Amino acid sequence: MKKKLLIVLGFVILLAGCNDRIELEQQSYVIAIGIDNTDQKGVYAFTYQIANPEVGSSAIQSGPDEPPTEIVTVNGADILTATYTANSFVSKKITLDHTRIIIASEEAARSEDFLRVIQSASRTPQIRRGVQLVISKESATDFINNNEPIMEKRPHKYYQFMLSRANQTGIIPRATLHRFFQITEGDADLFLAIYATTDQSDEKKNERGFEDQYIAGEIPQIGGSPTQFMGSAVFKEGQMIDILNGEESRIAQTLDNTLEMGDYLATIPDPLMPEYRISYEYSQKQKPSININYHKDKPTEIDVKVHFQAEIIAIPSLIGYTQNKDKQKVLEESIIQRLEEKTNTLIKKSQEEYRSDPFYWSLYIRKHFKDVKSYEKADWHKKIYPNAKINVTYYIDKLEFGKMLDDSHLDEVRD
Amino acid sequence: MQNKGFLRLKEILAMTLILVGIKLSDSTPALMAQKAQNGFWLIPLLSFICILPSFLIMLYLLKKYQDKNIVELLESLTGKWIGKCVGILLFIFAFLTLTLDSRNYIEQIKLLYFPESPTDLIYFVFIAVVFIGAKKGIEVIGFTSWITLFTIKAAFVLVLILIYGDIVVQRIFPIFGASLPVVLSEGVKKAGIFAELFFLLIAYQSAKRTSMFRKGILLASIIVLLEITIFYFVYASVFDYNSIKKIQFPFHDITQYINLGNFLTNIETIFMIFWLFAAFIKFIIFIYITTWIFGEIFAIRNFEPLLLPFSFLVIIIGLSPFNSVINELVFRETLLTIMSPFFIIFPFVLWIIAWGKGDLKQ
Repeated sequence: MKKKLLIVLGFVILLAGCNDRIELEQQSYVIAIGIDNTDQKGVYAFTYQIANPEVGSSAIQSGPDEPPTEIVTVNGADILTATYTANSFVSKKITLDHTRIIIASEEAARSEDFLRVIQSASRTPQIRRGVQLVISKESATDFINNNEPIMEKRPHKYYQFMLSRANQTGIIPRATLHRFFQITEGDADLFLAIYATTDQSDEKKNERGFEDQYIAGEIPQIGGSPTQFMGSAVFKEGQMIDILNGEESRIAQTLDNTLEMGDYLATIPDPLMPEYRISYEYSQKQKPSININYHKDKPTEIDVKVHFQAEIIAIPSLIGYTQNKDKQKVLEESIIQRLEEKTNTLIKKSQEEYRSDPFYWSLYIRKHFKDVKSYEKADWHKKIYPNAKINVTYYIDKLEFGKMLDDSHLDEVRD
Repeated sequence: MQNKGFLRLKEILAMTLILVGIKLSDSTPALMAQKAQNGFWLIPLLSFICILPSFLIMLYLLKKYQDKNIVELLESLTGKWIGKCVGILLFIFAFLTLTLDSRNYIEQIKLLYFPESPTDLIYFVFIAVVFIGAKKGIEVIGFTSWITLFTIKAAFVLVLILIYGDIVVQRIFPIFGASLPVVLSEGVKKAGIFAELFFLLIAYQSAKRTSMFRKGILLASIIVLLEITIFYFVYASVFDYNSIKKIQFPFHDITQYINLGNFLTNIETIFMIFWLFAAFIKFIIFIYITTWIFGEIFAIRNFEPLLLPFSFLVIIIGLSPFNSVINELVFRETLLTIMSPFFIIFPFVLWIIAWGKGDLKQ
């Protein structure tokens, strides 16, 4: 009798562990969260994109009409509380553990209160630090509703692939919440968030742009999904202040040692026939070296050396660069010159307009200080950076020409 | 079940490693970062330097007075009544550390993995498991520590490997954090984080040979110091100086952040299992040695029946702080600040007494 009682008692204790038990099918997994301002201060419109786990899975046959996602919008004070409001019309418990991205409208991001609402996301353990921050030109609700992936219907895979590929090419930065908080709380540098839109109004098309000189919404596009991820939103002290285009985003990532970027293709005007453009693949095998000479009473010197490799992809002018040393020299110099020109423009813009840097360079000045107090007093983004003398030098380590030794000679073809 | 003295070097080593080493995964780093900012990773080093001479003296005294554990040593050196009083002080320190720490771990489990279960219930189940484990006696505890040691440490190493890409070494600069005087004074004040080493001295006689105990605990304390410093360094370089003090459980924040490639995301539960393993063993050891100290003071040779009332007391007292922030930032902070000078100074006093008595010459 006593033994039986003990066994029953044992079960009581063991079963207490099931207090938090919840079945998979009782939960709705949110993949994307949208944040919009409302007319009322402190109240936001939250949009949740909930994945339908039955679509796109080989294990379960789903009905043909089932949509891959359910999108709901509710008003609320913070991300978590609003999920409970949403439960008045969503049948399952809304779980945020699998959130991939948080989308904030540009309007919300530019408002002073943006930090308040995004900070609440970090308190709950449900939202991971790896969640990426996307800023949309239109309202976040419209963005999520208009976003119609064509090939990859499953939303979590769509966002994962979309962001990781666009990030590899450098046209958007990697913008995790973790980085957002470190930079914002560090209060020295600019944070770059991903800029995207589904709004393709025709008058804003940038027909004269080249491969990366766009921001989202400007790229002339025919077919495909209406969503464009391009460029980055610049945040200063937790508030959005400007937009960088794809090219500037690439440069910012090149100069930032804490960000990783894959190889990318770009073009420059042919130095010998400027109406044609030469395409090359830019790749960086080592991180740039950043040297800061801190001077207390005169402008600080920042010396940056970037080593890169280039592979020529196309020479539409058909000029024989491949076998002519002098012409190669010209080409090398024009690539370097163009990169330096673009970089200097961005640096100048950041020094004069933003008065802070999007490269996370404040990290390199820290070793000149012994404690936080003196570091904060020296004031990187008010005193040091805007007045600094910055010198960025590009070095080309290798210039390759692909698998062709020579191009067709136009005069021989058309004789 | 009683101790017959069969523990070997490896079991002593494993027990110390788990008991002290798990400090890297609770909110101790957050506690240190409050004042020292990103210089907090230097604090364990400084604390260890402060406490090491005292600890060595204790080991030396124990070696001189063969066949005694720490409480018996106190009584024979300072006399019966003073010895007992100091013993009680030691017991109170151990018991409070145990209680406040356990609340901290319960909060971690609740916040991160069982958000809807009531705290009392988690506390009860947790301590029930700890009680059952402790009831098995020191040899089983030592052996369990040894066989789980490698899986636990492997999990921690895996965390290090996966977070490696997100480390920004420059974040540890400015090197002294808040400032050098702050880091130094915090280093002394927080020396109490190594107090467990002193509590463990109660088990001095449980090893096969006392030299094994001495070697084991010294070796373990050096490894633990390295471990803690490496992990604190990682926290300081993953989180910036303003963010680190806002994060209550940096270890769990990191396990939530890391992924195994693109396919395996949200993998923190894997680490939670090993971490929970370590937490159970830590408290099993802790509650056992605390009860043991109590038993020694009041000459209760068969102290294991006392484990049950003490387990119960831990739950009751542990539940009394209003929330985890008060528990950590007020109570634990105060306790560490009181304990540190005690453990730094007291061994020297004992040594002087022993020297005055002329016992050291033999």
